[in-house]
Amino acid sequence: MILSKEQQTEITRIAVFAGQILHQHGAESRLVEQTTQRLGIALGADNIELAISPDAMVITSLVNGHCVTTTRRCHDRGINMQMVCEVQRICVMLEKKLLDAKDVKKRLQRLKPYKYNRWLVVLMIGFACASFSHFFGGDRAVYWTTFVASSLTMIVRQELGHRQHNPFVNFAIAAFVATTITSIGAILEIGENPQIAMAASVLLLVPGFPLINAVSDMLKGYVNMGIARWVFATLLAVSVSIGIVAAIKVTGVSGWAI
Amino acid sequence: MSAFFDLLGLLIIDAWFAWIPAVGFAMVFNVPRKMLIYCAAGGAFAHSLRFLLMHFDLPIEWATLIASASMGFLGLYWSRKHLIPRPVFTVASVIPMIPGSYAFSAMIGLVEINTTGYSLALMQVVMENGLRTLFILTALSFGLAIPSILIYRGRPIV
Repeated sequence: MILSKEQQTEITRIAVFAGQILHQHGAESRLVEQTTQRLGIALGADNIELAISPDAMVITSLVNGHCVTTTRRCHDRGINMQMVCEVQRICVMLEKKLLDAKDVKKRLQRLKPYKYNRWLVVLMIGFACASFSHFFGGDRAVYWTTFVASSLTMIVRQELGHRQHNPFVNFAIAAFVATTITSIGAILEIGENPQIAMAASVLLLVPGFPLINAVSDMLKGYVNMGIARWVFATLLAVSVSIGIVAAIKVTGVSGWAI
Repeated sequence: MSAFFDLLGLLIIDAWFAWIPAVGFAMVFNVPRKMLIYCAAGGAFAHSLRFLLMHFDLPIEWATLIASASMGFLGLYWSRKHLIPRPVFTVASVIPMIPGSYAFSAMIGLVEINTTGYSLALMQVVMENGLRTLFILTALSFGLAIPSILIYRGRPIV
């Protein structure tokens, strides 16, 4: 298959679009690189070279000694595993010759991030943090205090995120709300050890996915991506702790060993 | 024999409380609906395995490493079966083991050192919690990566 210059440009655009979707929705760097390369090669390129940085990617396709290079900015659009799965599926279907370039482009453009019903998420996150309070040794009253506090915190987080607020501001405010609500529980002495609720109710704000991605990126040789993710996650944790400390100063109750 | 049943009961309770955070956070990450059941199973399996290992006096870091490595292999099997990238199952499944409380303690300690001044007790809180966070997190992530580091070595899994 000999590709013309226009066709080469077209397949480069398709490949970089797939890579951009993966990057924006929180896939790890190895997956972004591999999937983009496989897609490009399956579409007929001889080789695909990729440079990933935390907020952009550069891709060069090589066909018959001719290069086409293009750059895309990748703004973070939130972690969405369903998008990652869809792009991966399109890649596998292309490799099995079930799709051609036109279908791939159409399918990629048609992808829409699926979101769960927000109230269902609120409910599940409430129970999740309540389960953490059980792991910390809380009794039933603490369980329900944590449930209420973290559900309300999740609503605050969703509302602020929906209004495109900066994630650091969002997390600090959410941590403040969570700690304030649970400190009311501590003041009213609900349950055996109400301080446990203060520690458990902020665990919905742990940036777990960026932290795991950071370490696995660094392990697999993408050190710059790993450092960027690590710093982002650390800053999120710092802003959460500032929110917690602010609430402790206001209410005068501390649930932490300090 | 009754000691065995006591342990079994504790394990089941642990597994029950571990699947809830796994599914909750999987929904925050928008894992596809059909895969939520695998996240639940994985979360319950990994956390109760760690509980069992820690019950036999293994340090938390090594228990986490073994649990997350097992989860990595389980995720490998599922991802080959369903043609879905591995992080979709594995990350949500290990979320209940993330040392979030230690991390926040360390950070709060740092903020407190700034406001109240340096003291050995505060520094101890910061260092102990910070290091524990670092090691548990590395063990978690390294364990998940073991299949692709040792077996696949750079080749695509799906």
